[in-house]
Amino acid sequence: MELTNHFPALIMAVLLGISFLSPILYRWARKASAPALITSLSLALVMAIYLLFQVLQVGEFTYYMGGWPPPYGIEFRLDLIRVYMLLVVLAVSLWIMVYALKDLEHELKTEVMGWYYTLYALVVGSMAGIALTNDLFNLFVLMEICAISACAIISVKEDRACLEASFKYLILSAMGTGCFLLGVAMIYMVTGQMNYDLVNAALPEAVELYPNNMFAASALFIVAFGTKAALFPLHVWLPDAHASAPSPSSAMLSGLVIKIYAFALFIMFYQLFPRPLLESIPLNEILLWLASMGIMFGSIFAMVQVDLKKMLAYSSIGQIGYVFLGIGLDDTIAITGGFYHLLVHAIMKSMLFMCAGVIIYSTGIRQIKQLGGIGQVLPITMFAFTIGSASMIGIPGTGGLISKWYLALGALEIGRPIFVVIILASSLLNAVYYMPIIVNAFMQQEQFEYQVKPVPRQMLIPLFVGVAALVFLGVFSRPFIVLLENAVQLLF
Amino acid sequence: MEDQIVRITSRLVAPFIQVYGIYVILHGHLSPGGGFSGGAIFGASLVLVALSFNLEVGAKQISHDTASVLESGGALGFVITGLVGVAVGANFLANRSAGFPLGEVGELFSAGAIFIITAFLGVKVASTIVTLFYNIIEGEEKSGNAH
Amino acid sequence: MEMLIKIAHNYYYMVAILLFIIGMHTMLTHSNLIKKVIAMNIMDTSVFLLFVAIGYTSGGAAPILTAPANEVLYVNPLPGSLMLTGIVVAVSITAYALSLVVKIYRYYGTVDYDEICLIRSQE
Repeated sequence: MELTNHFPALIMAVLLGISFLSPILYRWARKASAPALITSLSLALVMAIYLLFQVLQVGEFTYYMGGWPPPYGIEFRLDLIRVYMLLVVLAVSLWIMVYALKDLEHELKTEVMGWYYTLYALVVGSMAGIALTNDLFNLFVLMEICAISACAIISVKEDRACLEASFKYLILSAMGTGCFLLGVAMIYMVTGQMNYDLVNAALPEAVELYPNNMFAASALFIVAFGTKAALFPLHVWLPDAHASAPSPSSAMLSGLVIKIYAFALFIMFYQLFPRPLLESIPLNEILLWLASMGIMFGSIFAMVQVDLKKMLAYSSIGQIGYVFLGIGLDDTIAITGGFYHLLVHAIMKSMLFMCAGVIIYSTGIRQIKQLGGIGQVLPITMFAFTIGSASMIGIPGTGGLISKWYLALGALEIGRPIFVVIILASSLLNAVYYMPIIVNAFMQQEQFEYQVKPVPRQMLIPLFVGVAALVFLGVFSRPFIVLLENAVQLLF
Repeated sequence: MEDQIVRITSRLVAPFIQVYGIYVILHGHLSPGGGFSGGAIFGASLVLVALSFNLEVGAKQISHDTASVLESGGALGFVITGLVGVAVGANFLANRSAGFPLGEVGELFSAGAIFIITAFLGVKVASTIVTLFYNIIEGEEKSGNAH
Repeated sequence: MEMLIKIAHNYYYMVAILLFIIGMHTMLTHSNLIKKVIAMNIMDTSVFLLFVAIGYTSGGAAPILTAPANEVLYVNPLPGSLMLTGIVVAVSITAYALSLVVKIYRYYGTVDYDEICLIRSQE
């Protein structure tokens, strides 16, 4: 079984390969291009599942690009938490793509479809790389690939709102990567290394000699990843970008792209910075309060929105706060909760954006107040929307409850009950803006007055899958929690 | 643009720029430069011709379609070169251990996979610059007609 | 005083940081989109300069292998090659940003962000 050793690199190779192949395929064999993309994504997913079992059996291992060990070569590291992230990225992106095939037909011009596949595969490939890489500069390059292609899957729609939102996103994310690169320069200056393990080994000594460099680097990293992951005061680009994009892109951006940067920051904290440094600077404390403010303000902003997709986008700012809250609480249970929320939110937010996409596809409505009575004409979609909202609020039986439960447990364990109050308050706020939509959709007596196009089955089946996944995550959460707890314990 | 001096000069200069671009691409493993710089030089020469004459003459050299196919092809070539390593049992992007002949240091045909990758990169960058140019120019024309 | 001497010794770091701040400030405050793109480049370039400055060894030759490495003093090639990659990335971001500006200009007839906001608010 020689080939299985190369799976970490092959995942990237398959995704990058299909992204470059897509335009050619779309030109010469148009029918084959969509199945080819789906096949590659599934292939990557199968490889990732195999990697999970391998990691469970033999523990963590590394892969050297070109056979060059560090410090010369780029290293991919596979431990439990990274493989978990990889699986989330690949599974959710495959699921979104199945939905996207139909939705995109009416949102995009036919001639750019091939390029959309390219960009999509690039986003997924770079995110898989970010999850696995163990090299600072490699991380920078992958972040830039991810940033360009994430902006491009917004601007591919070419209406004026999309272009403007995507430009704003590009400028702010360029600022983020600029800050990141400066931080890397600060670290390279004092350690002379790029590989995480080598930097980690060299840092304790370097911090003693040049403490200011490390302060600057950690501040720059928080700004960099905070901007890219829409941590509260740096979130200004998100609502426009996620709301104006085509619905599958919104699902992708809100579900996965912002989370991968939260994950990268987590890896910085726990695999790059030595523990004493983390304890000497109140990085976790800063993160905690920013996350809490994000949770509250994201929900409050979401309440006043009139546009359905914009409301979902603002809700993402609140929800990414939970992931950061888990990282900031710096406790095994809380981090487990944060990462469980990462999975649950990836599924529920993608599903809610898909529901919004179906509504726009079928009726062309974007305004919340026009949605009254829509439950009678689009019952399946609104059922999925209900389950997604229930999970957002954290109603028992859905995945959202479990993650909030573990976050609250973690907060109690380290003796900070104030964060339990914040979690509870934000659940209430979530209910305030999700419930009226559902109540209006189902309870309103008057007839729904807009024209309704029939929805193709290919768009509804992914919704069913999402509902099933959310309920499954709410009822049988144990194996995931155990896996995550093991993964997180390895980092302490 | 109907300028005799610009046309004749660019027609005279373009082949030399292209040869220089190819030189930089091929010597990427020996001297500063390589796929990116050489590809940019080569692509610039094509853009120069298209600018100083008109788009039809430019399209005779390399059409928009060919350029976009080459663009994907160059990047694919990079991935496939990397996969050769996996196919023969070494790591992804492996060079000597994948059996690429390394040759003598300082020779033109040396450095194994790096030489091949640089060549693919040159094709990719040159065609990307041409497609970028065409995309912006053609977009201008479309909107010009619309107004 | 000690601080000043330190700064004077490491003036190239200060130049890089100054450029970074100029770039970042222009990028975030100016309303002209083209200026934002230029500022983005200034910001990236400042980091590239910093990296190359880190890798420079005074008196070192360009790292092209002509004699065995222990006989000639070479400049550290790693930051240089990394920054080459960085420059490529910056070029592609610039190209994409400029193409977006072209498209935005086509829709709004201006590249000034304040005017775009005005046009959008009037709709």
